[in-house]
Amino acid sequence: MRASEPEAPRPAGGDNQYLDGLLARVARGDQAAFEAVYDNLAGPVYGLILRVVRDPAQSEEVSQEVLLEVWRTAARFDPAKGSAPTWVLTIAHRRAVDRVRSAAAATAREQRSAEIPVPHDDVADTVEASLDAERVRRCLEGLTEAQRESITLAYYGGYSYRQVSRLLTVALSTIKTRIRDGLIRMRDCLGVSG
Amino acid sequence: MALRTDMHALTGVYALDALDTAAEVARFERHMSRCQNCTGEVRGFRETATRLGMAVSRQPPPALRTAVMTEVARTRQLPAGDDRARHARPGRRLTLLPRLAIAGAALAAAAAITLAVVLADTQNQLSQTQQQLSQARRHLIQAETQLAAVNAVRTAADATLVTKATPIGGKVTVVSSASRGQLVVTTSGLPALRAGKTYQLWLIGAHGNKIRSEGLLALHNGRSGPALISGVLRGDIFGITLEPAGGTVQPTVAPFVAIPA
Repeated sequence: MRASEPEAPRPAGGDNQYLDGLLARVARGDQAAFEAVYDNLAGPVYGLILRVVRDPAQSEEVSQEVLLEVWRTAARFDPAKGSAPTWVLTIAHRRAVDRVRSAAAATAREQRSAEIPVPHDDVADTVEASLDAERVRRCLEGLTEAQRESITLAYYGGYSYRQVSRLLTVALSTIKTRIRDGLIRMRDCLGVSG
Repeated sequence: MALRTDMHALTGVYALDALDTAAEVARFERHMSRCQNCTGEVRGFRETATRLGMAVSRQPPPALRTAVMTEVARTRQLPAGDDRARHARPGRRLTLLPRLAIAGAALAAAAAITLAVVLADTQNQLSQTQQQLSQARRHLIQAETQLAAVNAVRTAADATLVTKATPIGGKVTVVSSASRGQLVVTTSGLPALRAGKTYQLWLIGAHGNKIRSEGLLALHNGRSGPALISGVLRGDIFGITLEPAGGTVQPTVAPFVAIPA
């Protein structure tokens, strides 16, 4: 399987151009390039899915689907529309959300609604990830409590904004605004260019 | 314009995959295709969300790598620009198979194959049921939301009601609220459709130059439940045409009923 040049793992979130190039090779059927993509992004994919889905066995299953989809649809990746990690993590987040929003899962989750997920309890398991995490944590702390709560529930919790509005008993339009305002602040704090 | 501001405020919710229904997603994406600011904002928000995702990175179990690589080696890739790819679900879900294959060495080959087939089948059924459940729930939420919106129009302080008999038979009733920019359409007694035909709803701009499809009319026993139309502007005209099944992008015939909104 490692027929063509093997790739050394690079720090997650590091060199976007490097990952863009790898995905272009994956699109041409290069399995070694795919292994390098795996080594760079399987951690974030699994971590994010685990965060939303919670159950490790199901998270592993969803992660497998996502990574396989990356392989199958690599030719659709367009670096002009966003970075490689964003393309991959967008697929991962959508799949995770699909999984938890099924009727049964949603009922069970809403019963546990008092338990609001905050990222503070997570211990990142690599140095690079912990640096990223530290920065994200600092920026999250710069939000208002209300913004942080809405963004965390929606992104890490996988709740729809209607569910968030119900959980927090706050009007739908308020949630919409909090999420947008909070993301603007996060984006500027993290120095993300649009 | 109230509607556009409203849609624009959804950029964050959309970027976090937090819209409730496929219809809401489709609607926002339609808006985004005409709104450069939204496209840029969504892109920035998605990159921001990626940082949130990166921050919770976790070492996956080693079995995941083996399972993914095994599947990759036997999975065909899709060519660029294949639109089906976006919506396609993976054909098979054989998560347990690689682990099974290892265990299978110890088992009689025939038994292992049977077990794998049964497992794959069960998993397929499970995932199908899960998808159906999730779809049913989306429909329910959609119906609830729709009903609430319909009632809001009907009870609006400035609601006006117009009922018109159509030349082909039956009646069409429109309740509209200018303050909400919405109208609600109900019909009764419209002639039953011949095969290959459908009733399609339209919103026609003040000068007749902008015509927007508002979907198809679902008929049950000659009546249609309330259809909600949003983004109605002063001077818009609501109309219904008879179109080929599946509907058209722009009307192919003149509306048989037209009511100023």
